[in-house]
Amino acid sequence: MSKRVAFKDSVKVDLVDLSNFARSVRFNSAQERIDVSGFNATGSNEYLAGTTEQTVTIEFYGSYGTGEVHQTLYPLHKNRTTCVIHWRPDGTTPIGPANPELTGVCQILTYGPGATRGDADTYEVEFSAADPAGLSFVTA
Amino acid sequence: MTTYKVTGPVAFDDHQPGEEFEAEYDDDLESRAVERGSITIVKGTRKTKKEDTPE
Repeated sequence: MSKRVAFKDSVKVDLVDLSNFARSVRFNSAQERIDVSGFNATGSNEYLAGTTEQTVTIEFYGSYGTGEVHQTLYPLHKNRTTCVIHWRPDGTTPIGPANPELTGVCQILTYGPGATRGDADTYEVEFSAADPAGLSFVTA
Repeated sequence: MTTYKVTGPVAFDDHQPGEEFEAEYDDDLESRAVERGSITIVKGTRKTKKEDTPE
């Protein structure tokens, strides 16, 4: 497995290819840490994994044209609609063990585009897993 | 199967702008894609929600 510089990532939301409008992707999967410690000789704590919270945060360039970022994402948020998202490291090669694709049903619970004078219009959107299957990497 | 054309500026479901393709999408996904201008229906009928369905 070689190191890589992120250039060719593929980002799709609701089947719309937003790769060229995205510049960063961050997946986070966190399992709650449940303390199940009992009395013991060493005083050490014992934990079990609890519920899983999964999100994908994508930074998009603000674009408001037909079928672009805002027109894709805002209706999903406004109407509380779930959608499938996809991200894989290399969009030019098929999904495989060396090019796994993160996919799952998500919803956009918060949506906050904005702009700063003189700067590129970008904003982050957090996609939260929205069904029991959660977000997972597939290789086929 | 329904025939669609990608009318938006970006690829949709791995089909490039201007490309026609056949697919079978669920009603809600198709409706969203058509309304945002990502695709149009070339052959087939648009699936619409029943008007009398209570919200």
